[in-house]
Amino acid sequence: MKFTKKTGVILSVGIIAICLGYLAFGNFGQNLVYFFTPSEVSAFTQDHFGKKVRVAGLVVKQSVKIVPETKNINFELTDGKVVIPVTFEGIPPDLFKEGQGAVVEGYWDSDKRLHSQMIMAKHSEDYMPPDMKKAGVALPKKDFYKTLKVD
Amino acid sequence: MMIEIGHLAVIMALVLSAVGIVTPMIGLKRQNGVWIQIGKQAVTANFVLLSIGMATMIYSYATQDYSVKYIAATSNSRLPMFYKVAGLWGGHEGSLLLWSWILSLYCMMAVWIHWKTQPVVMPYLIAMESLILHGFLLLILFLSNPFERIFPVPVDGRDLNPLLQDPAMVIHPPMLYLGYVGLSIPFCFAMAALFSGRLGEEWIKVTQRWTLLAWIALTTGVLMGGYWAYYELGWGGYWGWDPVENAAFMPWLVATAFLHSVMVQESRKMFKVWNLFLIILAFSLSLIGTFLVRSGVLSSVHSFATDPGRGLFILAFLAFMLLLSFGTLIFRSGKLKSQIELDSMISREAVFLFNNLFFLVAMVTVFIGTLYPLLTEALKFKKVSVGPPYYNAVFMPVALGLIFLMGIGPYIPWRKASRESLKKHFLIPLLFSGAGLVFFAILGVHDLYALAGLTVVCFVLASIVSDFSKISMFWAKQRRVNHLSGLYVAFRQNPRRFAGIITHVGVLIMIVGIIFSTIYQTEKVVILKPGEEVTLNSFKIRLIKLYETTGPNWVAQEGFFQVYLGNTLIAQLTPQKRLFTVSQTPTTETALHQYDMGHIFLTIPEVAPDGSWARVRALYNPLVLWVWYGGAVMVFGAFLNIFRPKRKEIYSEGIATLTPFSSKKMVQE
Repeated sequence: MKFTKKTGVILSVGIIAICLGYLAFGNFGQNLVYFFTPSEVSAFTQDHFGKKVRVAGLVVKQSVKIVPETKNINFELTDGKVVIPVTFEGIPPDLFKEGQGAVVEGYWDSDKRLHSQMIMAKHSEDYMPPDMKKAGVALPKKDFYKTLKVD
Repeated sequence: MMIEIGHLAVIMALVLSAVGIVTPMIGLKRQNGVWIQIGKQAVTANFVLLSIGMATMIYSYATQDYSVKYIAATSNSRLPMFYKVAGLWGGHEGSLLLWSWILSLYCMMAVWIHWKTQPVVMPYLIAMESLILHGFLLLILFLSNPFERIFPVPVDGRDLNPLLQDPAMVIHPPMLYLGYVGLSIPFCFAMAALFSGRLGEEWIKVTQRWTLLAWIALTTGVLMGGYWAYYELGWGGYWGWDPVENAAFMPWLVATAFLHSVMVQESRKMFKVWNLFLIILAFSLSLIGTFLVRSGVLSSVHSFATDPGRGLFILAFLAFMLLLSFGTLIFRSGKLKSQIELDSMISREAVFLFNNLFFLVAMVTVFIGTLYPLLTEALKFKKVSVGPPYYNAVFMPVALGLIFLMGIGPYIPWRKASRESLKKHFLIPLLFSGAGLVFFAILGVHDLYALAGLTVVCFVLASIVSDFSKISMFWAKQRRVNHLSGLYVAFRQNPRRFAGIITHVGVLIMIVGIIFSTIYQTEKVVILKPGEEVTLNSFKIRLIKLYETTGPNWVAQEGFFQVYLGNTLIAQLTPQKRLFTVSQTPTTETALHQYDMGHIFLTIPEVAPDGSWARVRALYNPLVLWVWYGGAVMVFGAFLNIFRPKRKEIYSEGIATLTPFSSKKMVQE
């Protein structure tokens, strides 16, 4: 094959494109974080320990406790079936509250506890201040898990 | 009553937008100008009608008419007036109305400005713009109507999301929409060119300023969104690869690529199909952005109401637009073969080619990262999320490549660069960047990407400075004036090129800001009791006291902090933990102190209920202001480009061949 300018152009563009593609997708799998429910996490076996996961659930009422010395936060997360304990070191987001939904990113470890440094909490998309429901502005309640679609 | 007038006006606009699609087509078919005139009047009328719609909404917000469902959902009597009005685009319905209103405004302006000069493409333009408007008005009236009433009438509104109660948020969405919708003008001109078969360089010349205008709005919108996230969300960063940010970033990337590649078509009549493809892609991404943010498939602070019906409609509309535009492009592409081929890989054309390649790779990366999680979820696979490492892996090298091209592109000749010309232009920049590399390495920059980035920035800067000094010296000598005047002469000779370089300088400033504020950010999170202090770099930050304070619609716990550098007091900061009383929503209010173009960034994300301690997050972001200063320079450059003075050909051909602008010189060769 004769090496023409055109093949040269196509070759160099192609090579660069492949390099960039590799950069993006060579590690694509490792850059994905999977979502789980508390039930799924509590059923994890040895080989899942220490992998980064996101767990979506409801913060159990009256479970949030500040650990006195470290000011870490311990709380429990539930999907209605299973309750899992969480230790959180970091800054809880503004909307993190008992009885509300939260997505917790962290590692499930052999001590059967979720160790997290990041919580994503959101008010539901209905964005409903509590006393307004009485005022008659309430929108229909949406599926709870739908409101947890974070990120 | 008012709201019914607005509602009626929008219904009439729906009808007239249909008229705007049909009549120009009839006019074309019958070769009768009257029909096209009707289309023109419909476009103007649509703007008036939608303005009435907007005005009645704003009036109803101001007069607190909570019988309107949308107003009841996004406003409250205790809200300051400023935010009452901004509530209009605080949610789904109102922002779509704003979108349509901006579209009608742009459309009217385009029709009026180009009516006389572009008579042939006008019918297509009117029809195309009306088609887009019609689609959006259908969506507004049937699926997300902001004029809808509720009964019983609530006593008060539900309040605007506290996170949106911020000056930046008032201007940010209209800015983004000005950008998104602004891309519709070049898009419609391109479509008109495709339909009418006038596929020369004309549509590019006509739309050049429109594209710049849209680009300015988009850039400003993205930057303001970043600044808002920086201080309002209190996390200390300005870009988090949030899908909603990405939605605005994708059209920006393609629009930027387009602004570059049109220059190749203007100068060398190449990349014809490519440019059409790019502008169609850019506008499609605007629509996708609207879809992503407004259909509720993404949940974030930006999207509120979820309604699958709306998502489905926007998706169907999007599919229709994609089929129509890309279909026409494929159908017509046979006519668009450019006769000129790339001569050499060492030429300005090749630089533009790689520029486009990099921008497109960046866009595809963001696209996949944003949509992959949606796709897996839709296909009922496991839910996933894609994190910043994925984006960074691509963006670091792509950004390096793009900056490097910035140092070459404007200084390399078209067609083919000779060895001598390369040496003449790039020897000094190369030496300088080498020196920069050594300098920063000694200074203690050890991060590989930061070091590479700064080296490349040095290269581009040296390239720009050496070129400017050469030009100014040349003209100073020619006209026997000082160097500054020489530079001015050069500016008058080629204002567009100068404006472009200013935008590039803005990018450089921003890149340096990004490098320093991300890599050299220091953070401390501690628990402080009043009287205690924390050391951050060379600053001492002392919590003096914690107390309660109130605002118009919130109560807050406020911390009073003093910042010392050595023994000198340099700042007193009062971050807050607010609670918006109507919605019972807490927010973290940041306190910032500017120091050396950087920020001391203080928040108290958690305060003990009895006020005995606060969790304090203190950050030092060096050079972070450069990110926005750089952005401002970029926008300034683009403005200069839009309103550039007419190019002055003051010199005879003989002298012109001597100009140090390599482009001119090489054309002569």
